[in-house]
Amino acid sequence: MDNSTQESHLRSDNNSVTYDSPYPLYAMSISPNTNSPQQRIAVGSFIEEYTNRIDILNFNPDTLSLKPQPSLSFDHPYPPTKLMFHPATHSSLQKTSSDLLATSGDYLRLWEVRENSVEALSLFNNSKTSEFCAPLTSFDWNEIEPKRIGTSSIDTTCTIWDIERGVVETQLIAHDKEVYDIAWGESRVFASVSADGSVRIFDLRDKEHSTIIYESPQPDTPLLRLAWNKKDLRYMATILMDSNKVVILDIRSPTTPVAELERHRAGVNAIAWAPRSSKHICSGGDDAQALIWELPAVAGPNGIDPMTTYSAGCEINQLQWSAAQPDWIAIAFANKMQLLRV
Amino acid sequence: MVPQNMKEQLALAVRSIQWSYVIFWSESVNQPGVLSWGEGYYNGEIKTRKTSQGVELSSDEIGLQRSEQLRELFRSLKPVDTNPQTKRPSAALSPDDLTDTEWYYLVCMSFVFNIGQGVPGRALENGQPIWLIDAYSVDCKEFSRALLAKTVVCFPFMKGVIELGTTDHVSEDLSLIQQIKTSLLNSLSVDDPINARATLSSRNNEGVACVAFDDNDYDVELIPEVGYDIINTTTSPNGSSNALQANQLRNETFMVESWQVLDDDLSNCVHNSVNSSDCISQNISSAPKVGEDCNNNQKMSLVDPLSEDWHYQKILSELLKSNDQLTMGMHFQNFHQESSFCVWNKGVPVNFQRPRQGTSQKLLKKILFEVPRMHTDGLLESQEENDYREGTRLEADEGMNHVLSERRRRAKLNERFLTLRSMVPSNSKDDKVSILDDAIEYLRKLEKKIRELEAQREPTGIESRSKKSHHDMVERTTDHYYNNKTNNGKKPMVKKRKICDIEETRREICSDASKGSSNKNVTVSMSDNGVVIEMKCPSKAGRILEIMEAVNNLNIDFNSVQSTEEADGSLHLIIKSKFKGPANATTKRIKQALQKVASKF
Repeated sequence: MDNSTQESHLRSDNNSVTYDSPYPLYAMSISPNTNSPQQRIAVGSFIEEYTNRIDILNFNPDTLSLKPQPSLSFDHPYPPTKLMFHPATHSSLQKTSSDLLATSGDYLRLWEVRENSVEALSLFNNSKTSEFCAPLTSFDWNEIEPKRIGTSSIDTTCTIWDIERGVVETQLIAHDKEVYDIAWGESRVFASVSADGSVRIFDLRDKEHSTIIYESPQPDTPLLRLAWNKKDLRYMATILMDSNKVVILDIRSPTTPVAELERHRAGVNAIAWAPRSSKHICSGGDDAQALIWELPAVAGPNGIDPMTTYSAGCEINQLQWSAAQPDWIAIAFANKMQLLRV
Repeated sequence: MVPQNMKEQLALAVRSIQWSYVIFWSESVNQPGVLSWGEGYYNGEIKTRKTSQGVELSSDEIGLQRSEQLRELFRSLKPVDTNPQTKRPSAALSPDDLTDTEWYYLVCMSFVFNIGQGVPGRALENGQPIWLIDAYSVDCKEFSRALLAKTVVCFPFMKGVIELGTTDHVSEDLSLIQQIKTSLLNSLSVDDPINARATLSSRNNEGVACVAFDDNDYDVELIPEVGYDIINTTTSPNGSSNALQANQLRNETFMVESWQVLDDDLSNCVHNSVNSSDCISQNISSAPKVGEDCNNNQKMSLVDPLSEDWHYQKILSELLKSNDQLTMGMHFQNFHQESSFCVWNKGVPVNFQRPRQGTSQKLLKKILFEVPRMHTDGLLESQEENDYREGTRLEADEGMNHVLSERRRRAKLNERFLTLRSMVPSNSKDDKVSILDDAIEYLRKLEKKIRELEAQREPTGIESRSKKSHHDMVERTTDHYYNNKTNNGKKPMVKKRKICDIEETRREICSDASKGSSNKNVTVSMSDNGVVIEMKCPSKAGRILEIMEAVNNLNIDFNSVQSTEEADGSLHLIIKSKFKGPANATTKRIKQALQKVASKF
């Protein structure tokens, strides 16, 4: 591997590439767009001030090059809580050189990342009469119905947007407390986690009801993140506040988790299911470990051990498994973003 | 070494006790010291029976046919087999046609055991029967095939091991073993090998096509499955499967036959598939169609019928380990060389970073708990500027759910509290009671200050002021407060609005208390419909009347008039009144009118 062409703030060896950002990083997304050999990766800064940045990098898995695109950097008010590229790989929305990127924070925003520029396409405000819109903790883009984005908010609601028409499809009071994450299962089914400690599933066809499929053991231990296994919709994973567990849920057996992955030695910060396999999940935590787990058919008496492990320099705050290149996982820690070969 | 009529005898034996299956593990010819599939008979539940000829068969024949078909299917699934005949797509059964027990039986065909390993291996080593009850629940270390068979019995027999299994619970009965042993021995020794061959081969005419019988060596049939690739498995070509198995399979380190063509096959898959890597779940969905051409897609189709059965999946995933690697990504199988990840080391604590001092999940918590607050705080500032919209917003939100609007109302209350706190010097806590306490304290202080200031300004007016109403006092206080703030230049309009909201009144206050020129000493304050006029003018006969008249002309009704004649001869008047109709005079006009009257001499 010829490293001489790499830029100074990039380091790489045979199986990983590192990007050093000028600021701490949190939000991150890898474009699933397979139209070009270059994979776009968006990273969002975490600066506790108004002005934050979103940077776009080009990643080439063949040459292991990771190049920032300064012309594609743009400002974001306060740190973005989540970044996500348009999930569909073959979409009429997508021209070869442009990607749609959604961000959440004060509002849901949509950006078009072009060849040499980024344009703010739209800003979604769900209050009809004012600029007031409760801040968003997260969102998820519906893979099957990509015009649909669901957002989760601290005002206990989830809002489902039709982004093509720019209208609110529905707004549901999802929980008793702040909603921290949302994930789509099917085109009309989503789940959310909340400070009230519950995982609930909603069906847009029946907005009156929701199904609680898990409640944290100590009442009101907030659930912070949720990941729905896209390859086997029976399973989802969630993480608890101040807990080293990854809780695996089977929607067929509500309230009792099918597995609890407890090999992290400190709090878990991020989880991601493998994009092409139904039984692999990766988790990253405060112990600086990224663990890849293979869910066994039957759990042994001593719990489940991860299959493989990677040690980062410090707390791993973010983790994304590339859908287009399933042998690459991206992690973020401190001011670094690192791509790891699985 | 498998006697020729073994199958028939096994069939008889297992049928006599009504168990599900019997397997004769014999010593492998290619691999001395290793037990592999010798012969077997399946006596369990049958899912789909294919009667291509429509010929009625006896249950005896059905059973034999089924066992052979299963064997044939297994062979057809095995890419290793070089015999062209078995490759023909004529397997009477497709993977769809099998029950779970049949699958189990089929999977057993792929197992091999070292002497002393696994239940069959140990039975042979010890020369003693092993009776395993509830094999299903036995730890997989004991019996790694523990799947559907509840009772498993192994006993050494003719240099090999007979394994019997049933899905029922049968308690240990050595006489049963003895019975089977003797019946087998008798029949086998009595039977003429030539005859047996004849029957068997006639039966095999269209079923098991590959049987190559030879009087001298009747083992031929059984060899290909075991083959030389056992070595491959133990020194597994893709190392990872070894590593992964190692944890799970201690005692019964069974060696799964390596699917020899695996690598080629995988690479084919990789090249053919659109996504450049395939995965099990995709195959599951496509498997039902795969059944017929299972020769090409054997590994995938194996998975299909078992999707509901965890135990089977486990075994199958052992068998098909490489599929997982595929699903993980193309490079996963080589992760020893290329992956950034290391294999998890169980006992040894990995060199890991202790979490730093402070809260765990720090950044995640900041994102979820604090960033939203940054937005809200930022919003608050900008919102104050368009505060006038507040009223309309509340009404417009009528359509919203009650709970939501209630929450918003509370949020607004909180905002107001924050505003109030920012206006009041505070040295106590941030809770609402403290904020209110501070505000009250602050107001009192300001009132006191006003009193002092006014006392300085009008040293003679103390007496009359003492009669002033409390209402007046508040008015002045607020008045003073605004001015104070205005002078500070700190968002005067906003603060004023807040207080007005609280008192729910709109007031315009015009204080024109310039000193020296007594005739200009008129104060008019309006609240809603009410007007309070306070004026001081030189005392004169009929002055009060004149003033009343002037006020009356302005369309104002009197509520009360309070007059005091002061020591210096001036008249002090406080008139409380209200407007008669909608045509209200402005404070300015009232003042002008009154000043005019007051200045008359």
